[in-house]
Amino acid sequence: MSDNKQHKINSYLTFKLGEETFAANVSKVLNILEMTKVTKVPKAPPYMKGVINLRGAVLPLVDTRIKFEMSPTEFTPNTCILVLDININGESVHVGALVDSVQEVIELDDSQIMPPPSIGTKYKSEFLEGVAKVGEEFVMILDMDLIFSTDELSLLKESVSEEQQEQQNA
Amino acid sequence: MDNFRSKFIEEATEHIEDLEGTLLLLEQDPENKELVEKVFRIMHSLKGGGAMFGFERISEFTHNLENIYDLVRNGEMFVSKDLLDVTLASVDHLKNLLDDRKSELPQTLETHQNLLTKIDAILESKNAIAIAKDITKEKEKSATTSGTASKTTTYYILFQPNENIFDNGTNPLYLIDELYNLGQAICIPHFNRLPDFDELNPTHCYTYWEVILSTAQPFNAISDVFIFVEDECHIDIHKLSDYNLLENNEFYSFIQQAIQSRTDIGFDNLQTLASRINAAIMVKEKKTDERLAVSKENTISSIRVSSEKLDVLMNLVSELVTTQARLSLFAEQSSNNELVAIAENVQKLTRQLRDIAFSIVLIPIENLMTRFQRLVRDLSQELKKEVQFIAEGTDTELDKTIIENLTDPLLHILRNSLDHGIEDPVTRVKRGKPRQGTILLKAFYSGANVHIQISDDGAGIDTEKIRQKAISKGLISPDAVLSQKELLELIFVPGFSTASNVTEVSGRGVGMDVVRRKIADIRGEVEVESKLGVGTTTTIKLPLTLSIIDGLLVKIYDTFYIIPLSSVDKIYAAEHNKVVGTFNQLIVLDGQQIPFFYLRHEFELEDNNAPLEQVIVVRYEDKRIGLVVDSVIGEYQAVLKPLGKYYKNQEIISGATILGDGTIALVIDTNKAIKYFARKYKVEEVK
Amino acid sequence: MAKTILIVDDSESIREVVSFTLENEGYKVLVAVDGKDALKFLDGTEIDLVITDLHMPVMDGIELIKHIRSMEKYQRIPILFLTTESQAAKKMEAKEAGATGWIIKPFVPAKLIAAINKVIR
Repeated sequence: MSDNKQHKINSYLTFKLGEETFAANVSKVLNILEMTKVTKVPKAPPYMKGVINLRGAVLPLVDTRIKFEMSPTEFTPNTCILVLDININGESVHVGALVDSVQEVIELDDSQIMPPPSIGTKYKSEFLEGVAKVGEEFVMILDMDLIFSTDELSLLKESVSEEQQEQQNA
Repeated sequence: MDNFRSKFIEEATEHIEDLEGTLLLLEQDPENKELVEKVFRIMHSLKGGGAMFGFERISEFTHNLENIYDLVRNGEMFVSKDLLDVTLASVDHLKNLLDDRKSELPQTLETHQNLLTKIDAILESKNAIAIAKDITKEKEKSATTSGTASKTTTYYILFQPNENIFDNGTNPLYLIDELYNLGQAICIPHFNRLPDFDELNPTHCYTYWEVILSTAQPFNAISDVFIFVEDECHIDIHKLSDYNLLENNEFYSFIQQAIQSRTDIGFDNLQTLASRINAAIMVKEKKTDERLAVSKENTISSIRVSSEKLDVLMNLVSELVTTQARLSLFAEQSSNNELVAIAENVQKLTRQLRDIAFSIVLIPIENLMTRFQRLVRDLSQELKKEVQFIAEGTDTELDKTIIENLTDPLLHILRNSLDHGIEDPVTRVKRGKPRQGTILLKAFYSGANVHIQISDDGAGIDTEKIRQKAISKGLISPDAVLSQKELLELIFVPGFSTASNVTEVSGRGVGMDVVRRKIADIRGEVEVESKLGVGTTTTIKLPLTLSIIDGLLVKIYDTFYIIPLSSVDKIYAAEHNKVVGTFNQLIVLDGQQIPFFYLRHEFELEDNNAPLEQVIVVRYEDKRIGLVVDSVIGEYQAVLKPLGKYYKNQEIISGATILGDGTIALVIDTNKAIKYFARKYKVEEVK
Repeated sequence: MAKTILIVDDSESIREVVSFTLENEGYKVLVAVDGKDALKFLDGTEIDLVITDLHMPVMDGIELIKHIRSMEKYQRIPILFLTTESQAAKKMEAKEAGATGWIIKPFVPAKLIAAINKVIR
C-alpha cells in the first residue's frame, strides 16, 4: 500500500485526535511545532485552517480533525502542529497538520502491525496502513500521503450512521 | 575532466540552437555570406570540441558538413534545398548525439548512417547552378517566414482581342492558360463590350481580360505568349512590382474586390497600390537585415550564466528585501535618526538591485520563436500547406519558468492552427483567400498581465459541429441553448475533439483541456475566439508574477493583505454608512459612480464598527472597481511566496508575504477576486 | 479521346519528325504530302489542328489554308504553317489567308510542342 515498508523504519509518532490515537511513520514527520499565529485565507475549504510562517516559508495548515469529520480543533496548550512531508504525484510537498496532542515515538515490529480490520473501525481501510496494539490501546497507523493528498473524499465508511458520528464527536 | 565535458555540452547545446535559427534564416536568404560563415564556424567548433571531449560521433558527423559549408563559403557550392533539409535534420540528430541516453539507441545509429550517406551524396554532386534556380522556384511555391526578396516580378497585362479573332482558329483562353503556366496569376474577364442580343454575333469575341501575373520568367516569355496574335489584339504589359504582390494580402483583397464589383481595374489604380506595397515590403526587408546585424551584436556583448546561479541570485535578493523590511521597521521604531537614514539608503539600493536581478531573469519570448518557426516550416511541408508565421512583440519579457511552461501549450495551439485551421492552398483559393495562410503570434503587456495571442486566417471553428459533438457525448442536452462563447468553451472539456480524424499531429492525447490546465498552473487563463471561414484566435493571459512586487499593505479585521500597486488607481476615505447597508453596490467618488465590494462581507466577517472605511479603487479590465478595507498601512515591497498545492484552487489570493515582524500578509489577485465577487452577484441577481 | 493533327509537307523527313514528336505527346497524326493530298482527310473527319508547309507542289500551303477556311466544318480550326525566318512576306500572306500561327524552321521538337500548345489542348 504505502512505500514506508521499503524503508524499514519502524518508528512511529503517536498523536491524538479527540479520544482516538493515531500513528504516523516518522519519515513523514519533519517537525513538531507549538501552536502559533495562523493567518486565515478566505474562501478556502473548511479543513484548511490557514497559513503559518515557518522560518520564512509559508506553510499551509490543515485542521486534521475536520479532515476526519470531527468537530474543529479547539486550541489547548497541548495542541500541536505536525510539519509533514507529503508525496503528491511524485512531488514532495510540506504541510502542517493540527493535532490535539502528541504522545510519543514508538518502535513497531512488522509482526505487531496487523492489517486494518474490515469491521470495527469507521475509517475506510485504504487510508490506514494497519493497526497495532500499544499497551491497552489499538493505534491506527495512517497513510499520511493518501490522507493529505485527497481533496474532498470522506475518510469515513458510508455505513457509519450520523448518530455514531455525533457520539464520536461529543 | 567531467567538468569540461559538461561545459562542452552546454556550449554545444547553444551552438546547435544557434545553428537551427541560422539555417531557417539561410533558407530565406540562401546567398547570404554571413549566414553561411556562421554555419561553417558552428560545424567547425562542434567538430573540434566533439573530438576533444569524448563525442567522437559528433566530430565524425560534422566533419563532412564542415567541408560542404567550406565549399559554399568559397563559392564552389550553392546552398540547395537538399542541403538545407539534410542540415536541419542534422540539427535534431546532433541534439540526440549530445544526450547520453539517446546517443546509443538503435534509431539514433540508423539516423546517423542515413544522414551520413546523404551528406556524402551532396558532397559528391556539386551540381551547383541548376540547384540555385531550384531554390528560387521553391521559394515562390512555399514561403514560411516573412520573406526577403525573391526574383519574382509582378506584371499587369491587358489582353483585348479583336472581334474576329476566332476566324483564324485562335482560342484566347489557351493564351491565358499559357500565362498561368509562367507563374502565379489571377485573370479578370470583362464582358462589358457585349452588344445587345440582336446585334450579337456568336462567331465574334467580345471578351477582354486583365491579368495579374507573378513570374520569375523574363519579360520576353510573356510577350512570346501573344506572338501569333500581335496583329489581331491590343496587348499591354506593364511591370507592377519587383515582388510577388499576389502573396500580399492587401493587394490580393483589392483584386478580389475588383472582381466582385466587375469593374475594370486599370493599370493606374494598380500602380498606386503597388508602389505603396512595394515600399512597405522594402521597409520590412531592411528590418530583417537589421535584425541579422543586431543579433550578431547581441552575441558579442552577452555572457552565459548557469540558471542555478540565477536561482541563487533571486533567492538572495528576496531574502535581502525581506530583511531590509525588518531593518526599516526596526529603524522607525527606534527613533534613531541616523539609523533611519541608513535604513532608507539600504532600501533604495535594495530596490535597484532587485530591478536589475529581475531584468536578468526575465527572458524575451523571442527565444521560443526558433522552435515555432521550425514547427511551422516542417509541419506545413508535411501537410502540403503554405503557411507564413509572423511574430510580433517578441521582445515581451517573461520569467524563465513561465516560458518553460508555456512552450508546450503554445506548440499545441500552433499545431492545431496548422492541422485544423489553415486550409490547403486549393481550398483557400476557392474561398477567395490567398494561397498562403498566415499564423500571427502577438505578445504584449496589458495592465498587470502579459497577453500572448495566436491568430490564424484559417477555417475557423464550426460551433455547430461542437454542439453536435457535445450532444452526442452527453455533455449538453439537445435543446440546450448556448451562446457562441459558451460553445467555444466546450473545446476545453477533457477528451473533447471535433477533428473528424484525430491526426497524428495534434491528437496525441493532448487536448485543449491539458493546455488550459498547464496555463492554469502558471496562474494564467486561455480563451478562444473564432469566426467560421475567417479564422481563429487563441489568447493566453498571464499575470506578471514577479516574485517581488510593489504593493499596498492594508488591514481587514485582524489580517493583513497586499494589493499590487500596479492595479491601484486611487485611495479614498468613505463614510461607513456609504458602503454598508446601501441599496446598491455603488459609491460616488470624484463625481463618478464606482462599483465596490465590502471585503469584510466578501470574506464573511462582521461589519467594521468604525466611522470611516478605506476604498481602494483598482483597475479591472477597462473599469474601475472599489475594494473596501479597514485601513491602509502603506507601500510595501512584498516578496511573494506561493501558497502551495493545498491552495491551488484559491481564486482570490495569489500568494503570501512575510512582513518585517514575521506576520503573514496575503496578496490579493485583484482581477480574479473581482471576477469571483461579481459572479456571485450575477447569480444572485438571476435568482 | 486523343486529338488528331494533320501534317502536310512534301519533305518525308519533316513528316517523320513531326509524326514522331506528336505521337509521343499522345496525339493521333495524319500525314499528307501536299495540299491536294490533305484535302482527302478534310472530308468530315474530326481534325483538331493542321500543320502545313507553305511550299509544296500541286497545291501549296496558302491555297490549302484558304481552302480550309472556306469549308464550314473546318472554318475555325487552328492552322499552323512552317516557315523560315526570312520569309516575312509569305508569313503575312499566310496570316491573311487565315492561318492561326507559325513554326519557324528549323525547329527542335520542344519548339514544335510550344507552338502547338498555343492553339490546341
